[in-house]
Amino acid sequence: MRHQMLCQPAATALRFELEQGESITCEVGAMIAMTTGLTVETTSKSRGGSGGIIKGLKRMFSGESFFLNHFTAQRPDQSLLIGPTLLGDCVHHSMRGGTMIVQGSSWLASTPGIEIDTAWQGFSSALFSGESMFWVKCSGGGELYLSSYGAIHSIEVDGDYTIDTGHIVAFEDTLKFNIGKASRSLIGSFLGGEGLVCKFHGQGKLYYQSHTLPSLGALLGPKLKAK
Amino acid sequence: MTSNLQHEIQMRPDFSMLKVSLEQGQKVHAEPSAMAAMTPNMKLKAGLKGGALKSLGRLMGGESMIVNTFTAENGPGEILFAPGHLGDTQHYRLTGGTLYLQRGAYMANSDGVEISGKWQGAKGFFSGEGLVLLKASGVGDVFFNSYGAILEVDVTDDYLVDTGYIVAFEDTLQYSVSVLPGLRGGGFKRLFFSGEGLVCRFAGQGKVWVQTRYVVPYLSWIDRFRPTSSK
Repeated sequence: MRHQMLCQPAATALRFELEQGESITCEVGAMIAMTTGLTVETTSKSRGGSGGIIKGLKRMFSGESFFLNHFTAQRPDQSLLIGPTLLGDCVHHSMRGGTMIVQGSSWLASTPGIEIDTAWQGFSSALFSGESMFWVKCSGGGELYLSSYGAIHSIEVDGDYTIDTGHIVAFEDTLKFNIGKASRSLIGSFLGGEGLVCKFHGQGKLYYQSHTLPSLGALLGPKLKAK
Repeated sequence: MTSNLQHEIQMRPDFSMLKVSLEQGQKVHAEPSAMAAMTPNMKLKAGLKGGALKSLGRLMGGESMIVNTFTAENGPGEILFAPGHLGDTQHYRLTGGTLYLQRGAYMANSDGVEISGKWQGAKGFFSGEGLVLLKASGVGDVFFNSYGAILEVDVTDDYLVDTGYIVAFEDTLQYSVSVLPGLRGGGFKRLFFSGEGLVCRFAGQGKVWVQTRYVVPYLSWIDRFRPTSSK
């Protein structure tokens, strides 16, 4: 399977070329266009994976849709075009074992070797940061495609690195972290508008986005006509 | 007078802008409020182009009944058009055929092109995109825009596009509204949970232009941030 990123960065789309028998799992609603030799199967679990309905329910609570769409090529040389629903960039991450922790709405697609799960509770403290974010855990080997609101940057953390919790897209679980204040004093942190930050330490890859959706919502919301 | 417009589409795909250079006496027609800047010798005339019926067709196709006509007077002129929202702009040269445009996709055209509405009947009803498509026909240039970037697809066999992502297509293609393969026969529940809704199946030979984003998911997302009135 080959992939190609098109029209980067603000309205990025992904094109996959699939050989007969190859398949890819996508976020519900991500399909833009495709050739007719592909079939779609909607399930509540990752293909070949365990879990079923319980994992599906967990996924729903994590901000991802309860259902996943599996696209499988029934004939050679099929092409699939997908994109995130909101404006923003996409990034490709190759997994060779190990685990990635992904912000709930940033998971876009993955190949069948990757298991998608929300059992991971390590970030529950982030709930109290007011970001209302949930997380999914992707493990195994294969290709992972992530989306963001705004541009995606990545960094190979070696040592310490601090990120505003709202800007995290994904990170390798080899990174340890704790949630803390941006400034030394709590009042200073909130007056500075930074709220809570995530302090990573160790070694691993970290993806983060230039903008956050809650800030856009907070900016536009008051200007809209009341319901 | 040639109907060929000398043009350039700048800053694609996210903040596209169309620049048209006109000879003396040459005209360009555009949807209202698309004009962003122009040389002072461009003269604007607003009107119902093509008569009442064609204007009504445009209105049904999600456009304004009014079309602005800009004419270069006393020498060559230059004019810039921008879509009302983020997104791409695409040029298409009509040579006697017909191009169908999704609701609201029309931006500008040269002399020789007629923009009207085309009743889609049941196909339009089921696609959820409105009952009328815009139709551009004649000989000349037509410009259309999208939300998100525009990708051109050369269809040689069958091709499926989610109904929300279609921007334009040539009339050499036959189209029908259907359900994604695999979901068919799965019943209503399957269709409902897959989140993919309905697709347009294109058959034959021709070009179709798809946009990489769709404005409706953005609107439903921002709706959560709307204040609730106290009443």
